[in-house]
Amino acid sequence: MLMISPKMASGAQDKQYTPSLLSFFIYNPTFGPREGEEEKKILFYHPSEIEKNEKIRNVGLCEAIVQFTRTFCPTKPAKSLHTQKNRQFFFEPEENFWIVMVVRNPMIEKPNKDGKPPTIEYQEEELLDTVYGAVVRQCYSMYKLFNGTFGRVMESGGVELLIQKLEKFFYRYLQTLHLQSCDLLDVFGGISFFPLDKMTYLKIQSFVNRVEESLSLIKYTAFLYNDQLIWSGLEQDDMKILYKYLTTSLFPRHSEPELAGRDSPLRPEVTGNLLHYGRFLTGPANLKDPEAKFRFPKIFVSAEDGYEELHLIVYKAMSAAACFMISANVELTREFCEQLDGLVGPQLTLLASDICEQFTINRRISGPEKEPQFKFIYFNHMNLAEKSTIHMRKTASVCLTSVHPDLMKILGDINCDFARVDEDEEIIVKAMTDYWVVGKKSDQRELYVILNQKNANLIEVNEEVKRLCATQFNNIFFLD
Amino acid sequence: MEEDHHRDREAQAVNISDPPAENNPPADTLATSLCLLGNHMFPDSVAANACSGVNRSEPASLQPSDVTAEDPGPEAEPPSNLGTESETPDCQNNLPAHSAGRGTEDAGVENDQSDSGEFVVTMLAKAKLEEQGIGVKGRSSPLLEAGIQESPPFTSHRDEDVTADSWRRHRKHVFVLSEAGKPIYSRYGSEEALSSTMGVMMALVSFVQSGDNIIRSVYSEGHTVVFLQKGPLVLVCVSSSRQSEQQLREELLYVYHQIISMLTQASISRIFEHKKNYDLRRLLAGSEKILDGLLNLVDSDPSFLLAAVHCLPLASSLRDSLSQILQKAITPNLVFSILVAKNQLLTIVQEKTVIEDARLAPADVHLLLNLIGASSAFQAGEIWTPICLPLFNPDCYFYAYISYLDPPECTVCLLLLSTDKEAFYAVAECKRKIEEAMLAQNSLSLIAKAQSYSVSQVGVSDLRHFMYKPFDVPDNHRQLTQFTSPEMEAPYGSDEEKMRLLDLYRYMHSRIHSTSRPLKLIYHVAERETLLAWVTSKFELYTCFSPLVTKTCAITAITKLLRWIKKEEDRLFIRYPPKYSTTPNPSKSSRSSRSEQQDTTDNGFLSLL
Repeated sequence: MLMISPKMASGAQDKQYTPSLLSFFIYNPTFGPREGEEEKKILFYHPSEIEKNEKIRNVGLCEAIVQFTRTFCPTKPAKSLHTQKNRQFFFEPEENFWIVMVVRNPMIEKPNKDGKPPTIEYQEEELLDTVYGAVVRQCYSMYKLFNGTFGRVMESGGVELLIQKLEKFFYRYLQTLHLQSCDLLDVFGGISFFPLDKMTYLKIQSFVNRVEESLSLIKYTAFLYNDQLIWSGLEQDDMKILYKYLTTSLFPRHSEPELAGRDSPLRPEVTGNLLHYGRFLTGPANLKDPEAKFRFPKIFVSAEDGYEELHLIVYKAMSAAACFMISANVELTREFCEQLDGLVGPQLTLLASDICEQFTINRRISGPEKEPQFKFIYFNHMNLAEKSTIHMRKTASVCLTSVHPDLMKILGDINCDFARVDEDEEIIVKAMTDYWVVGKKSDQRELYVILNQKNANLIEVNEEVKRLCATQFNNIFFLD
Repeated sequence: MEEDHHRDREAQAVNISDPPAENNPPADTLATSLCLLGNHMFPDSVAANACSGVNRSEPASLQPSDVTAEDPGPEAEPPSNLGTESETPDCQNNLPAHSAGRGTEDAGVENDQSDSGEFVVTMLAKAKLEEQGIGVKGRSSPLLEAGIQESPPFTSHRDEDVTADSWRRHRKHVFVLSEAGKPIYSRYGSEEALSSTMGVMMALVSFVQSGDNIIRSVYSEGHTVVFLQKGPLVLVCVSSSRQSEQQLREELLYVYHQIISMLTQASISRIFEHKKNYDLRRLLAGSEKILDGLLNLVDSDPSFLLAAVHCLPLASSLRDSLSQILQKAITPNLVFSILVAKNQLLTIVQEKTVIEDARLAPADVHLLLNLIGASSAFQAGEIWTPICLPLFNPDCYFYAYISYLDPPECTVCLLLLSTDKEAFYAVAECKRKIEEAMLAQNSLSLIAKAQSYSVSQVGVSDLRHFMYKPFDVPDNHRQLTQFTSPEMEAPYGSDEEKMRLLDLYRYMHSRIHSTSRPLKLIYHVAERETLLAWVTSKFELYTCFSPLVTKTCAITAITKLLRWIKKEEDRLFIRYPPKYSTTPNPSKSSRSSRSEQQDTTDNGFLSLL
């Protein structure tokens, strides 16, 4: 159980517990239709140590809920179940395959006198369905990125293989879910784009073209700087989940040694190559190592005829990262990797310093950094572009936001309100804490602003947001 | 048992077609006589006796002798009324003989028992009347027609095919079932056809319960399913209206309270304590219409959403004179006098000692108004019926005298609540006084001229509609919460558009009153309108503007609107609710029993008196 700082309440001993993962399971009701065979329905169950009958009971409840809601609409079954203690989220990504995530509501534990057990108060209205529904869908997308669909695995190796794959993937993946810090950004699942001037952008484009031409094996390329995307040859939905993987899992895992500096013992042996800073984040850690393995993670992306399987090569120099994707049918050799390293390494190093320079200039032009009167989140449904000045940095383990969680939830509420009707809308609300929160939806774009001017009135708030739109959003539309 | 039940109904039907008028001098109509019969049929002692000495084998012969033997009161029913007497076995069936287990000294219990029996009689009477086409003009009463433009002519939703698409497409389903999974009520489709669906609902409830947890709701893309467990009853709402879970739960609570208003909480728990799989429909027979009516009102009338009462705008002089008339026509144990026109409140007068420690909850008033509106039987003369005000005291009955003052139009209705079940004649006399005074002052024609107002009277362009609920009323904590709102006019003239605007208000309301994240203000600009909701310590306001209004204009408009309301408040609201003092007879007053209850830790019904 995760515990946050004790609240300064009456007794100063109330303990507040954040939402946590109670269980996560995947089942297919058609796999054990007869009585006594229910266990066969269960393909994955976390935590695995739960007793068999308990698992069967919980799966049974989900089946019953889904069946029950079909009484009222056969095509749109249940998505979530709210109970006093927890919420369950249902997702059927492929026919008859159900993923269920059970999240415990946040709660407050109040100690009782006289040695009585503490009173537990569940906060039932704190979790947003949209946020956690998105988290479940993300789980599936991430699984699918590395394993392909459930159906495909069933075809190639039957239920046994599927169970194996699910076990292998989710055992680790579930540990990286940090349910207490999920918010509106998970609903969008957007991509943060790096703002860039045209010249530098063209330089990157020509770099990508050159590499793809010289190394014809490369099917797709993606280019990122500072964890933000600049160029991608992948389909949007594939890039979305790959981006999520890169920024929340792969990059954070490799960032610590880099930050540690060149002479730190933490830094992996850099093989005396002083010409460039390039290195593989996937595949061989050291090309010079005679034992080096040239195995890369495989990913599945959409293709005209279903899915194609690809090697994922991630190569990084300073803050610039390039992803190269090559058909999985090709075997990748030491020669190929050396060739790639020799070609990409120096160019990427150069590009990285170019971008860095450009970035610093731009920053200087835009004036000295001062604490603005507002914070915002922007999302564009068309290109998945997202920008947040609320989130400090999203890493694998923590997501730091600079505003109160309640305000984040109000943003989530406004987002739900926008989803009610498909038309342009604007919503301005004043919270009990006197913060103003503004949501705007126009065409496919959504903007959420939190204003810190507590004494402002509606008209002043309106002016402030107008000003923000005028100044902040000139260079964000660069990819539109 | 089931057969008995049917037989009773038939017997009653026979009785209705052959009115026993000659033996009930003050009862000038059929309905009244039936209700009176019901009430006086089972005085406490009779009920106690009848139920403890169960003898269902010869109901017909048992009853008359019991009545004559045990009820020597002046209104004792002549044995010739055989038809209604056959109700008695029904009462015995309905109310399992607790006295056998508890002993007959449990006077409080017995009292309640007979009360629920009486109610059944009243309800059955109404149902029968309507089936017979006596005094029935379609399903909705004039009150409903005037108040809420609902109702195409009555078509029974009970006969619906529950597997059909049209059944699924209903905006809001409501189901009531017992803990044993027995159907009690379904808004659409017959309970029988839905018994397996309701069984599933109960299974879900108890399954989650077995894990030491409580089921709250299920969400799918188009529907929200909300569960509410109250005592031995489970209420379920399946809605595609996009209302918040809390709002839907509030609505289920209204349904629960309406059931309580007919049977009392104590008697329901007692019934199910005794027999878990009891079929409560026996007791509620004929009252489906009341629940149907309630649900239609809940959907179409914002009073329920705001938990406030809508007053008919009235010159304060007229309202005062009406209050004075009510104030003068009193009798011991009379506690509330309520005058209603077009389903809106004209005035309400309370007994002083009652008002001291309690005010009538808006929900109780809503339930009363629904009761009046839901059945056209009330239009037929005078009604005397036990009724429980669940928020005032869920375990005990008031006795309501209901009579329209302007037959045959039936728009102005007088409601007198007494704590004394024997007070019918005294209360009827009050009505006569009130009628006389109103005639003398020509009040009825003045009331007839009163009507709701148009938003154009406010004189603010761009303002299309609003709802205003003040908190700065004098003596607020003792007053009935009220709100004011103009008629819905174009572009909200059609039923569909009305509902859409109400849905927008509901959405604003749910956000601004969210339990976990309440707000102070919401300004919402959409393509078809701009909405503003604002909650302060002095008022709660919802406004609807044309979509092109600027924020500056909206703010100016609201300033003007608030000024206008201030100017008109004497006309829009009951400002100083009058009180009167009857000489309460503490042993019989509901209030006194209530305070006794508060003293005891016994949370159920009246403990030994």
